[in-house]
Amino acid sequence: MKYVDEFRNGELARAVAAEIASITDPGRHYKLMEICGGHTHTIYRHGIKDLLPDQVELVHGPGCPVCVLPMGRVDEGIAIAERPEVIFTCFGDMMRVPGSRGNLLEIKAEGADVRMVYSPLDALRIARENPDREVVFYAIGFETTAPSTALTLQRAKKESLENFTVFCNHVTIVPPVRALLDSPDLRLDAFIGPGHVSTVIGCRPYGFMPEDYGKPCVVAGFEPLDLLQSVLMLMHQLRDGRCEVENQYSRIVPWEGNLAALKSMAEVFELRPYFEWRGLGFIAQSALKLSEAYADFDAELRYSVPGVRVADPKACQCGEVLKGVLKPPECKVFGTACTPEKPLGALMVSSEGACAAYYNFGRKSYEKVEIGTKG
Amino acid sequence: MLSPSCTLDHDGCVVCSDAGVPVRVVSIEGDDALCEDGVGNRSGIAVELVAPVAVGDILLTHGGVAIGKVEEVRE
Repeated sequence: MKYVDEFRNGELARAVAAEIASITDPGRHYKLMEICGGHTHTIYRHGIKDLLPDQVELVHGPGCPVCVLPMGRVDEGIAIAERPEVIFTCFGDMMRVPGSRGNLLEIKAEGADVRMVYSPLDALRIARENPDREVVFYAIGFETTAPSTALTLQRAKKESLENFTVFCNHVTIVPPVRALLDSPDLRLDAFIGPGHVSTVIGCRPYGFMPEDYGKPCVVAGFEPLDLLQSVLMLMHQLRDGRCEVENQYSRIVPWEGNLAALKSMAEVFELRPYFEWRGLGFIAQSALKLSEAYADFDAELRYSVPGVRVADPKACQCGEVLKGVLKPPECKVFGTACTPEKPLGALMVSSEGACAAYYNFGRKSYEKVEIGTKG
Repeated sequence: MLSPSCTLDHDGCVVCSDAGVPVRVVSIEGDDALCEDGVGNRSGIAVELVAPVAVGDILLTHGGVAIGKVEEVRE
């Protein structure tokens, strides 16, 4: 019986890496995109990149929800948080994401009641405990997180709580991947699919990758061996000329997803006609808003959120990094004007952001390459 | 023993919005369960999206809500 720990065995990892090397065509360059920011984090933290042949390049995808949120939505959250009647609750990473006039931590220091929560259910508890205040939860995340927001809203409705609303910024994973595949400046061979999103939506939604674009996809777990095995499965598909969706993470991901979670989301949310993504622009039906039945809990309606657009700082190249066109250290301000301590762009804020992961774990190998190139 | 790489108090996982924390069910009360992660942190988790659950089950949690069950892998 096996659960999680076994997926960190160094000996097995070296064996899988050797198998990947043995089936790599030395004359071919492979570009594999890991969609999920959690995978990016694992790749750098565990040095996966150094175990792969030079011909196999891992390209970081748009799967960090903090990183893809446009600055206008950050500003709108801050505007709600500054209202005197509001207790504004959010996940910790959001506290440091820069808006055009600062971040949530800074307005908290100036007196706004901003509180970090671990779960939207914590925000609901705060609402119960403060009936004379308005509690707003800053909902963000892909389909991994959306069920927890949906469940929280269902409980709020059941309790008829009137002082709890959600500023909904949930996004969906399939439309941005389709947008990337339609992008003329990016050539990809295959995809490492997001494991935890797939726990909820299952594997079926990725069928468009092989069917419409001829790209294989392997849904992967988050331990080092999970990622190596997924790369091996993709390399086998590419070598054999196969093109399909496979599930490496079957110990957690059911092919059909979590039907109870999907039902809960279907009741609480509906698709927005379009939503802005940092670096990718507006993408149709790529985000969720509260459904008509939950309009009373919608912070956008209660506070008449205007939907402002704010351009990113000129020096920031998060968009190019998000699309995989630039590697993090190729950004003009990487590690200089933009660091995890003082981030300029969102990719440096979240620990799952490609730039923060590269800064914290990947610089050594990059410097080695640079020195080698220069020498 | 669960992997200590992703725990209930790990900063990256708590907030990143796309990571899941594996936990073991310690006790159940209605729609919630007391769960323990790989390093002994305990927290109340909403479990109705993965019902039914039993003490000893390993769940994947995200934002205080269980979104999946870890299935046994047989050799």
